[in-house]
Amino acid sequence: MLNDIFIKPFVDMFTAPDFLLQVLWEGLVSGILYALIALGFVLIFRSSRIFNFAQGIMVVFAALTLVGLHAMGVPAWICVLLTLAVMFGLAVTIERVVLRPLVGQPDIILFMATIGITLFLIGLGEIIFGGENKVMITEELGIPTDSVVLEPWGGLLILEQKDITAVIVAALLVVALLAFLNKTRMGRAIRALGDDHQAALSVGISLQQIWVLVWFIAGIIALVTGIAWGARAGVSFALEVIAYKALPVLMLGGLESITGAIVGGLMIGMLEKLFEIYWGQPLLGGNTETWFAFVLALIVLLFRPQGLFGERIIERV
Amino acid sequence: MKTFTRIAVAATLGAVMGTTAMAEGLYAPNLAYRTGPFAATGIPLMNGQADYMNMLNARDGGIGGVMIDFDECETGYSTEKGVECYEKTKGKAIVTQPWSTGITLQVLPKSNIDEIPILAPGYGFSPMADGKVFQWAFNTPLSYWDGASIILKYLQDQGDLSGKKIAFLHLDHPFGKEPLPYLEQKAEAQGFELVPIPVGLKEMQNQSAQWLQIRRERPDYVIMWGWGAMNAGAITEAVKTKFPMENMLGVWWSGHDADLKIVGEDGKGYKSVSWSFPNPDAPVMADVKQHVVDAGNSQSNEEEMQGVFYSRGLVISAILAEGIAVAQEHTGKAEISPADLRWGLENLNFTEERLEELGMTGMVPPFSTSCSNHTGHSGGWILEWDGAKFVKASDLIMPDSEAISELEMAKAQEYAEANAPWPVNEDCEM
Repeated sequence: MLNDIFIKPFVDMFTAPDFLLQVLWEGLVSGILYALIALGFVLIFRSSRIFNFAQGIMVVFAALTLVGLHAMGVPAWICVLLTLAVMFGLAVTIERVVLRPLVGQPDIILFMATIGITLFLIGLGEIIFGGENKVMITEELGIPTDSVVLEPWGGLLILEQKDITAVIVAALLVVALLAFLNKTRMGRAIRALGDDHQAALSVGISLQQIWVLVWFIAGIIALVTGIAWGARAGVSFALEVIAYKALPVLMLGGLESITGAIVGGLMIGMLEKLFEIYWGQPLLGGNTETWFAFVLALIVLLFRPQGLFGERIIERV
Repeated sequence: MKTFTRIAVAATLGAVMGTTAMAEGLYAPNLAYRTGPFAATGIPLMNGQADYMNMLNARDGGIGGVMIDFDECETGYSTEKGVECYEKTKGKAIVTQPWSTGITLQVLPKSNIDEIPILAPGYGFSPMADGKVFQWAFNTPLSYWDGASIILKYLQDQGDLSGKKIAFLHLDHPFGKEPLPYLEQKAEAQGFELVPIPVGLKEMQNQSAQWLQIRRERPDYVIMWGWGAMNAGAITEAVKTKFPMENMLGVWWSGHDADLKIVGEDGKGYKSVSWSFPNPDAPVMADVKQHVVDAGNSQSNEEEMQGVFYSRGLVISAILAEGIAVAQEHTGKAEISPADLRWGLENLNFTEERLEELGMTGMVPPFSTSCSNHTGHSGGWILEWDGAKFVKASDLIMPDSEAISELEMAKAQEYAEANAPWPVNEDCEM
């Protein structure tokens, strides 16, 4: 038993390094997509202290809108622009109809409101687009669908070009987002709002504008995530479930930290794959990915309740 | 204003009473799932079921002169919601169609008390075939163990399975685990290695870990017991990892046209066992088009209607309709009770002639049921994806009834003992 836990997995890694690389690559792809979903949560939480339960359904809704518009004969890239317009409209509507009337209410009320948004978007999406699985317009968007086959150490490493594209686009999106938050006036306003609501309002930062902006950015992230996941196995309401994988990422990385979301996503993506392949499948019968990330996050929380990169909040009683 | 209010109230009451009058008849609820992660597979099935019943209502005025009140209660494939739907509809229902193995297992003990037949065509608990023990449950025309048996027989025909390795990729859910006892027994008897690979509900669209395991294990065949989004996830991963498609076979719920269309040509060679097959030229299709589709009462579309799942939905409703018709003939009354319907479902006889009369030739294999045989064990075809649609790749293959019936009886007995006191049908001779 001790051999199976402490020696055999590492021997397997050493004797089949190409397979180890494949495991790490698959973990990286999953991890970067978890990180993207987590980023959507973090942005909204930072600016409004709202835990946006609707992030998962926003991924589905954005992807369905894109595919649905294309099915109506609209050219692919126009579909992307129109989908962004829809996500902007959604951000404005949520701010006007849901968030503005709830300003000043306890956080739990706002959280419950995002559950309401989730249920509403599920219903609306099903009425407009139906519940059938749909094919993502991968090729129409110019995303290559072939594989790159490498033979490291005489082995086999298969890299899907659409996964490579997803990793590159996600990385660029993260860089652009960081630049926006750090280098632009609006970005700094978002951060200021996250640091201190009252102080930010007192210097003339518009709460309404910022909320629309962060929900729109979350919508952009949702669209990119929806395209990347949808290209892997089609677009359906099952995609919403993947958003729950972002929860341990947030627990691990910290709810306010963009760096935490990225590092947490990558860590969970790669570690859960390594654990599943080298320990979970041989010793526990597999399917450990459903719980591994949560256990890892809970262990981290035992030592750092604010997550790896979260801010330590001390409240006087 | 007062007059307006009165008119409005009268109109509302009239509408309500009218609806009630329209809804009278034999109440046949369907615990449907048109929403949630499994909606993609549910919608064409539910559409087929509803269209067939609507066609009977429009064409024949129902069955035996009584309209069928075919009602859907949405479960989202959730076991909890399914049980709620069962409780909500059981009052006047002559049947319950639970539409999930999880819901079926929950409803199974209740059926003895409520005395309502459970109709679970092609799903549920395989030992339900033993009608003496499971008096109220029907899983016609094939059980999951039958399906597993047909797949193994087909593979055996391709070459001896002794010494081979078979990966069993399945949803980590009662449905996915259902064929395991049979497969484990056969692995021991036939000398092949069985590698069970579970897929969690949250991992259905991200099965890279499962397919890495398949790459490492290098199985000769992959048998898939998938449902909903799991099917598309598995097939795209199989294409990605370049697993030979001709060595991958699925249960009938893993043979959905829309899932294969995602990979198109790359999925060529993938196979699925099936107890139904679309026949666009069948008279029943023309009747559905004339009485339901053209009348604007169908939720389906032309593409979906040509698929395997829509066609299966039609067959499922035809099984229920036939059970009702047989019961009406036996009792001599049009308004049958749930107990009458149970008799009808225990005396189904789908011969080639009867299928022709129903306009469904070639859409389901002939089968018959009895009080002791609630499945019928019709046999199934192996369907193959040709890049654009499923085509038949085999003649009808019959399951290994001898081995299955032994296991069925043993497990049924085990279930009855574990749930004692469990009433059995003493009047039924085996």
